[in-house]
Amino acid sequence: MYRYDEFDHRFVNERVAEFRDQVERRLTGALNEAEFKPLRLMNGLYLQLHAYMLRVAVPYGTLDSRQMRMLAHIAETWDKGYGHFTTRQNIQFNWPRLKDVPDILEALASVEMHAIQTSGNCIRNITSDPYSGVAPEEIEDPRITAEMLRQWSSLHPEFTYLGRKFKFAVTGSEHDRAAIKVHDIGIQIIRNEAGEVGYRVLVGGGLGRTPMIGKELRAFLPKADLLPYVEAALRVYNLHGRRDNKYKARIKILVHETGIDEFRAQVEHEFATMDRAAVTAPEGEMERIAAYFAPPELATKPPAPVEFERMQKLDPDFAQWVERNTYAHRVPGYAAATISLKPIGGAPGDATAEQMRVMADLAETYSVDAMRVTHEQNIVLPHVAIGDLYKLYRGLASIGLDMPNKGLVTDIIACPGLDYCALATARSIPVAQAISNRFADNKRQREIGPLSIKISGCINACGHHHIGHIGILGLDKAGVESYQITLGGESTEDARLGDRTGPGFGYDEVPGVVEKIIDTYLDLREGQRETFFQTYRRVGMEPFKEALYATAD
Amino acid sequence: MAKEFNPVVVTANDLVEGDSVFLGAFGWVRDIAAARVALSEGEAKVLETAGNEGENGNLVVGPYLIEVSVTNGQPVPVLRREQIRASGLPTMPFGLDVPVERRAA
Repeated sequence: MYRYDEFDHRFVNERVAEFRDQVERRLTGALNEAEFKPLRLMNGLYLQLHAYMLRVAVPYGTLDSRQMRMLAHIAETWDKGYGHFTTRQNIQFNWPRLKDVPDILEALASVEMHAIQTSGNCIRNITSDPYSGVAPEEIEDPRITAEMLRQWSSLHPEFTYLGRKFKFAVTGSEHDRAAIKVHDIGIQIIRNEAGEVGYRVLVGGGLGRTPMIGKELRAFLPKADLLPYVEAALRVYNLHGRRDNKYKARIKILVHETGIDEFRAQVEHEFATMDRAAVTAPEGEMERIAAYFAPPELATKPPAPVEFERMQKLDPDFAQWVERNTYAHRVPGYAAATISLKPIGGAPGDATAEQMRVMADLAETYSVDAMRVTHEQNIVLPHVAIGDLYKLYRGLASIGLDMPNKGLVTDIIACPGLDYCALATARSIPVAQAISNRFADNKRQREIGPLSIKISGCINACGHHHIGHIGILGLDKAGVESYQITLGGESTEDARLGDRTGPGFGYDEVPGVVEKIIDTYLDLREGQRETFFQTYRRVGMEPFKEALYATAD
Repeated sequence: MAKEFNPVVVTANDLVEGDSVFLGAFGWVRDIAAARVALSEGEAKVLETAGNEGENGNLVVGPYLIEVSVTNGQPVPVLRREQIRASGLPTMPFGLDVPVERRAA
């Protein structure tokens, strides 16, 4: 993974010292809240419902055990003993005190982490595929591009005060696990007909109150042109994006209102006329960064060791976990293992300090010291020898994280919602917990098959509800929580926005509503292999609507 | 007929701790039961001014009035959001309070 150079260390340490001074001045009253708020937001510090909240960047979701142990230390020393992994592959601490935040940032800096640009109208943490460097079908590790973009966008003088926040995602595989079509700019590493590796660039995707699927800005961009091209796109946005109305300020609105062809023409004009050499990465820089992401040296091992086969027969729960929670590795004899942070009835994405430490130990022992935070609020150990999977599984069982539910109905994404968030209009986590409890039976989950439920506690859509197979949006209707349901959303290369079923439902009704939707699917599906999403695409909304709203005679 | 005035209290977040506080008779308190309740527009104005003084004095952040009902002499927020804020905690067990039911023996 990327390691800080001398400049990075100095920059982050100076930033910590600067914020320490700003906090001191706030506490003595030399700065008032109006003056301090933009400064704390630039350092990832929000003020939420019950406390301050610190959002720590995990660039493209990549962590090592030293960093995970520091997150555990922070959780225990300055918080309430746990953290919350988010849909932007970051981690949030929900209870820090203002006076402790500089110490937390100093602790983070000691392990090459920070909270810079995790808030504010700037380019946010760049997300990527949790199977980067793992997936057999991958053209190139997308983290190299993501790191290049991170360096380019960190404190970029022109783009530190954009009209609104700006999110990039990068995938190196055709199968999109980074939801690039719902990002301000989505980048797919591709190979053209001549066999050259470059980028397909999408623009104007996003969720929130005006969800949109990204449109193709450039079908093929040579790799060397990456930085000038995205700089050109950001310049057009910065110049023409609205600043009079924050709800219409994202690039998706500009692209929608301008039209993709005109927007593209403006970007291409800027790209053609700008001083590209001033922006292009110095020769050799991409190679320098790529060296940090060189694949670990993994000795080829047998794909199905005898002991592994035997333990699957002896321990059916393990066999199910292998089936659901592991993914084929490009190196024979290895797998990427997903640690589900979705125990039955748990808060999606939460992990205690103890769980973080054990995950760090397991990563160090079995996964070349590597971990990934996924946008689905789970953790991936990317390089596990298949012969070690049972030991890993038992280690996870010791901390309650052995759920074999990846991609199943209880692998729910949920934002913090009204239990934590100052913007929320309804609770998310307890709704996720109630659904999880309702579908706790593992056999039933497997019978239902692949199904994503995504829950947001307000229209800002941090829980990605628009792209859930079943999306749940919590709203406030005259002081009462009401939940809108959408069906048929999808986050991958086939991304689409879900369709609303109709009027919303009460807080207590949601698990029953989800059950009715699923029962309807089970009745309608053509064979056990047809997934919920496939059935929905085949039969449409009507039968589901009928099941949910038809009144009894 | 004049619109009936709904009782209010003033709330904010503590500057240092960040938690929810309410203006009481002798300063900012964490228990809404000890909050001063305004029963008229005039009293609400007084509370609002006192709240702003708390922010200007760097004790609290973002003071605002919330509607309450008064039951047995105790103010209870009307809105769900403010009920959750006033409780000081999420509505479900969280963090270390969550039982790890699947923990191995």
